[in-house]
Amino acid sequence: MSVPDSGQAAQAALAGGAVAEQGVIHDIGYRHYDGPRLGRAYVVRSLFVQSLRNSFGLGRSARSKVVPLLLLGVMCLPALIIAAVVTGTKQDSMPLPYTRYAIVLQAVVSLFVAAQAPQSVSRDLRFRLTSLYFSRPLLRSDYVLAKWSAMVCALMVLLAAPLTILYAGALLAKLPVATQTGRFALGLVGALLFAMVLAGVGLVLAAITPRRGLGVAAVIAVLLVTFSAVGVVQGISASRHSDTLAGYAGLFSPFTLVDGVQVWALHAETSTQMAPPGTAGGLVFLAVTLGLIAGLYGLLLLRYRSVSVS
Amino acid sequence: MNATVLRLTARGLLGKRRAALMALLPVLLLALAIAIRLSTGVDQTIADDVLSGFAMVTMVPLLAVIAGTGVLGPEIDDGSVVYLLAKPIGRPAVVASKLAVAVATVTAFGALPTLVAGLILAGTAGGLAVGYALGALVAGAAYCALFLLLSVLTRNAVIVGLLYAVVWEAVVGGFVPGAQTLSILQWSLAVTRAVVGEPVTSAVSLPVGATLLVLLFAGATWFAGQRLRSLTLTSEE
Amino acid sequence: MTTLTLDRVSRWFGNVVAVNDVTMSIGPGVTGLLGPNGAGKSTLLHLMGGFLAPSAGTVTLDGTTVWRNTEIYRHIGLVPEREAMYDFLTGHQLVLANAELHGLADPAAATRRALATVEMLEPADRAVSTYSKGMKQRVKMATALVHDPAVLLLDEPFNGMDPRQRLHLMELLTRMGREGRTVLFSSHILEEVEQIAGRIEVVVAGRHAASGDFHEIRRLMTDRPHLYVVKSSDDRLLAAALIAEGAGDGVRLDPVDHVLHVQTADFPRFARLIPSLARGHDIHLYEVTPADESLESVFAYLVAP
Repeated sequence: MSVPDSGQAAQAALAGGAVAEQGVIHDIGYRHYDGPRLGRAYVVRSLFVQSLRNSFGLGRSARSKVVPLLLLGVMCLPALIIAAVVTGTKQDSMPLPYTRYAIVLQAVVSLFVAAQAPQSVSRDLRFRLTSLYFSRPLLRSDYVLAKWSAMVCALMVLLAAPLTILYAGALLAKLPVATQTGRFALGLVGALLFAMVLAGVGLVLAAITPRRGLGVAAVIAVLLVTFSAVGVVQGISASRHSDTLAGYAGLFSPFTLVDGVQVWALHAETSTQMAPPGTAGGLVFLAVTLGLIAGLYGLLLLRYRSVSVS
Repeated sequence: MNATVLRLTARGLLGKRRAALMALLPVLLLALAIAIRLSTGVDQTIADDVLSGFAMVTMVPLLAVIAGTGVLGPEIDDGSVVYLLAKPIGRPAVVASKLAVAVATVTAFGALPTLVAGLILAGTAGGLAVGYALGALVAGAAYCALFLLLSVLTRNAVIVGLLYAVVWEAVVGGFVPGAQTLSILQWSLAVTRAVVGEPVTSAVSLPVGATLLVLLFAGATWFAGQRLRSLTLTSEE
Repeated sequence: MTTLTLDRVSRWFGNVVAVNDVTMSIGPGVTGLLGPNGAGKSTLLHLMGGFLAPSAGTVTLDGTTVWRNTEIYRHIGLVPEREAMYDFLTGHQLVLANAELHGLADPAAATRRALATVEMLEPADRAVSTYSKGMKQRVKMATALVHDPAVLLLDEPFNGMDPRQRLHLMELLTRMGREGRTVLFSSHILEEVEQIAGRIEVVVAGRHAASGDFHEIRRLMTDRPHLYVVKSSDDRLLAAALIAEGAGDGVRLDPVDHVLHVQTADFPRFARLIPSLARGHDIHLYEVTPADESLESVFAYLVAP
């Protein structure tokens, strides 16, 4: 018995299996895809959305929701209390300026950055997922853009939520709408600056090490220590009446730095011990802030350019 | 204690990045101290502010988080702790050795620079430098024991430790008076106050603080040893 | 100190039963723990190594419980699956540290011996982080052998090894088994288990599916027909004789390879009759081979849904 086109004869397997006499594969599951492919923009957008959701634990296990949502709750709680007090006791002005909120709760904000920045980038580095990302039509700069934007937006949520609660409370207490809206808007601008600076700091430090625990410790150490040190220096300088030194000392901590910009550019009240001295100081603060944002982003790009794909 | 575990832990803890991060803190403290001394001269109040506000509240707890979780946490996390545990060594001995390394590190990077900074800022008058160095020493030891226990109990020891050191001690402790009796910081400040006297304040008296410190240190170490006996190894998650 | 006994051991994680009422006894020699991924092989090895407590049942080594018993590690050598180890040490330093941790009297000599056994003496002075995957596996073996244990537990030891290293490890394990040690290794690579394991324990979905010599296991499954390939001087005549005598249930002549495939449910009858039939019909038998006794087919039969 011969089959017409059997160039190779495969061994016949008897026991109930398929009898393949010519070794033809009909279906191994892989199918070539020829349809439309969504472009790079879609990929970047998807990564951005996914990172943003992961920052609050959405799309991940229940355990990873605890810390970010807890911190968000702690962040909003004082705002709720203040809003309730203002509405209830019918005060005629907000006890706390919008621009001061982030400084007062800087410990909570720092913890959020420390917990979520490593969660965002350290996992990819540790488990070598970067090779999966970069073998797709996703450039390294796209990856950095998506991660950075997601972190900025997550921080905006964290910072803007309590501000919105305060604003709602102010409106309910029938405070003058125009003033409040203006201040709220300025508060949001300040929050955006905070978000951009902190996102840069957090992501750069987290991307240095694949160990998540060390990344968390590094971010917290830098944020807390700089804030504490600046506070000490400002306190000492102020008590010795060297206001210039106290003013410029604010450059060395992200929180005091952005607050300096808020004071000078947005005409807010100072929330730290000392405002930047004069116009020159204000310009310096603004320049350093913008330079820091750009510089940290550049560092991130550099970091990911040297990440190996294998 | 086991000499080999000590050696392995010390080498593992003081890797380049972790050592650099830990060194950053005392360097900053010393730079601050020198800068202040050069501009202000000797000032007891300022020295007290710097040592209590920066060294005790910020530097020592952070160092302890990094060292206390770093001696055991990463090994449990990536599974290499099996090389220590699949040996006929009592778990308490393993814990004791690792704790010794952590405490020594925090002492070297925390208590000693505190002493130096205190001497720079305040000289030898009033025993300020010695008092705060001692406080930093006992605080560091207690924190390390606590964070070592945390790293046996949970994989998120760093975050939980930070939540304690930052949120509980600094924020809640500032607003809720009762919380201050449960604060390692306050217990160690009691020790400092015993040496220095005014202007150091503490929410607890010396006997209470010292007892609680000893209890916490011994209890956390013992409990960590017990939990390590039942440590479950899992495959790569 | 050489027999590991699991007595009605179960282990569950919440609602997931990883090991379901397993009773087995691992004695001296090489035993292969076989099963598909997720069958519970690693769980069993962790249970036997004292790194997991049984939810029910007992795990004992010659009568002493393994859980929370640190003395047991004098007699057990563990080769874990996970790759992480103290990367910053050199190979020599790592094995030496393990020797010291065991409290050996002469750790340096034991280290050299262990490294020589796994053929890692030469690269021993380089840092472990520079090793290839196979070299890391061998260093792991050295750390497990340094205290000369009576029991060796290996979790997927052949992962990441190239053919030469695999052969070497197989030879090493066989030698260990012959020395009277109890060697248990898990694998889902059937060729290795087939070649060196005298006994296999098959675990499927947490249940102990089979144990013993795999040929014997095969024979125990009489609901599947056995297949034989016979080469003789007259296949057609032999085929007819086999069918006539009821020594085979189905025969097929293969014109390409010129062999005879025989299918039979009654192996003893076939084995008994084929020589006499051949002699009676004046047929010379050149080859009688079981066609599907490989572990592959055993495995497939056991695992098939």
